[in-house]
Parts: sequence; structure tokens; C-alpha cells
Amino acid sequence: MSTINFAAREINFKIVYYGPGMSGKTTNLKWVFQQVPENRKGEMVSLATEDERTLFFDFLPVDLGEVKGFKTRFHLYTVPGQVFYNASRKLILRGVDGIVFVADSAPNRLRANAESMRNLRENLAEYGIKLEDIPIVLQANKRDVPEALPVEMIQAVIDPEKRLPIFEAVATTGVGVFETLKAVSREVLSRVASAG
Amino acid sequence: MVEPAVALFGGAYEEASRVLEELLRESGARYALLLDRKGFVLAHKEALWAPRPPALDSLATLIAGNAAATQALAKMLGEPRFNELLHQGSAFGLYVEEVGELALLVVIFDNTAPVGRVKLYGKRAAQALEPITKDAVVNPGQVGIDSEYRDGASALLDELFGN
Repeated sequence: MSTINFAAREINFKIVYYGPGMSGKTTNLKWVFQQVPENRKGEMVSLATEDERTLFFDFLPVDLGEVKGFKTRFHLYTVPGQVFYNASRKLILRGVDGIVFVADSAPNRLRANAESMRNLRENLAEYGIKLEDIPIVLQANKRDVPEALPVEMIQAVIDPEKRLPIFEAVATTGVGVFETLKAVSREVLSRVASAG
Repeated sequence: MVEPAVALFGGAYEEASRVLEELLRESGARYALLLDRKGFVLAHKEALWAPRPPALDSLATLIAGNAAATQALAKMLGEPRFNELLHQGSAFGLYVEEVGELALLVVIFDNTAPVGRVKLYGKRAAQALEPITKDAVVNPGQVGIDSEYRDGASALLDELFGN
């Protein structure tokens, strides 16, 4: 759950970008980092290998501004997508308030999308959280790849009941990046407000 | 949700700050921070003689990540967790002591502060902080996060990210 620091009058939310390896989670964060003005963001921290694959996580704090006297901040995290990094992936989910699932539109990654969603469900279950309990927004990324699969087909494997909002994106050029982040942020905020 | 929200304010915050202040004075360390396990800073103090600290958000995130990773290691070895972590470089050291289930105490010191002192006073401070953080667990609904707050924050989202 959100962390409230009254002394600094801050409310903090944790948003995690999840998804299979190379689907564009870090690219989403990098775009946000590039576009958000200097005074609204902190440092971006990346724990990556030499070939820039995320090893542990990427982290970016974003200041929304002041609401009702409280500074509101979103802490954005990514997880490493590669299958064998599950131990560290699970750690990043601790205390998460909202999730962006970044799916890859490439035809040969359809199965990887499905496996990553199953892995998300299993990891959340270890914290006693069900998919329905937490705001999740889907992003069909890499819409620009040749022979990108139809969004419906991607949705069919990661969200067959079509419960979750889905956004199309090309994270390298910023298409859909803010829309996705706004959508998940709104859901997190309304969840917190109604919990009161 | 499983992970409770920790909200430090008013008297509890004053008390936590006082403990951190005393810890700095007794140990000779540079900075002392109280974090929750998700990597958010709950309270922090800097020694007046010390230079400006590095970005606290980054520090807190990395320390929480590190503590989570070592806790997973401890579990593999049959321990619920390691209570304390000590990282020592040639000029600087970092000491992390757990404060109950939910929080971490972080002390950053240079080689003017003896490690033994940092550990001794760090442990004492952690004990003093534990009941304070325990009492600080709240439901965000009690603190004015309501639909008015939500609408205000929503408007700011549009302002920052465009419509």
C-alpha cells in the first residue's frame, strides 16, 4: 500500500512495469524520464548488465505535484523480464500499488506474453494478492514491428475475459507511454480513495 | 492488501527524528534514515558537519532492494532474515539494521566513525524505533485521501502528461 509521510506531507505510490524479456519495460521508463521536466523527477536508477538488459530493476521517482497539501509521488519500477530472474522479479512486486503489463506484439513472443502473465499471477499469489485485487493496465507494445499481431490476439492470451484496459504503444517513440501511465495512476488513485 | 501502509507523523515522527539525531551524535555517523521495506523514506537526519547526501530516493530504493535480496538469501539458508547488514568500503560504510517487520534503519558513516560504535548505537536506535513504526501503520482513508484528493491528483496527471 501507499506510503504516507506526514512530516514531508508526501504520499507515495509504487507502480511496477511487468512483462516478458525485451518487451520494452525499460524503454517505457526511459521515455517518461526524457519527457518529464527536471523539477518533477528524481534520478533514474538502472541495475542492468553490460548489454543493457535489466538485471534487478530500474527505478524512477516522478512528482505529480501537490494535492490537498500532500506532495504526491509515483515511484516507477521495472522488473527483469528474463525467465531465469524470477527470484529478483518477485522482490520488486513487494508493496506494489499498480501494475503495467507490457506485452510484446511480435508474433514469436505471443507465448512469452502468456507465460509472463502466468508468472505475474503466481508471484502475486505468494504475497496473497489476486489479479483482481490490484489495478493492472495492459500495454501492447512494439506496434511498429513487421507482422505485429492483432491486439485482440494478444489480449486473448493475457486477458481472455477482457477485464483489463489495453493500450497500444510504440515505446521507442513514446506512442502510448503516457496514456498507459495515466490510466494505471488513475486506477491506483481511485482504489486508494475508495478504500477510505 | 498484504503490505500495510506506514504513516509517520506528528509525535511519532518527532520521536523518530529525535532517535535518529541522537544516533548521529553518539555514533559520529553522517546520515541516518528510517525507510519502509518498499524503499520509501519515512524520516531522515543529516549531521550538520557532513556534506550534502546523495539522492535519498535512489539510496532508499537500492537499500530496500538489497535488503530484500539478502532476505531471500537468508531464507535459502534457513534463516527468516539477516538482522543486520554491513557494507564497508575504504572510506565509507553503510550499516542497515532491521526495525521490526516493516522498516529499516540505515546509517551511513565515514572512517572517522568507528564501526563498533555505529553498530552499538544503531542497534539501540533500531530498538527504540520499532514500537514507533509499529504504531504508525494506518489505513490511508483515515488521513484525507478521498475523492477530492483523487480528482485533484487526476487533474495533475493531465497537466504533467497531457490530455
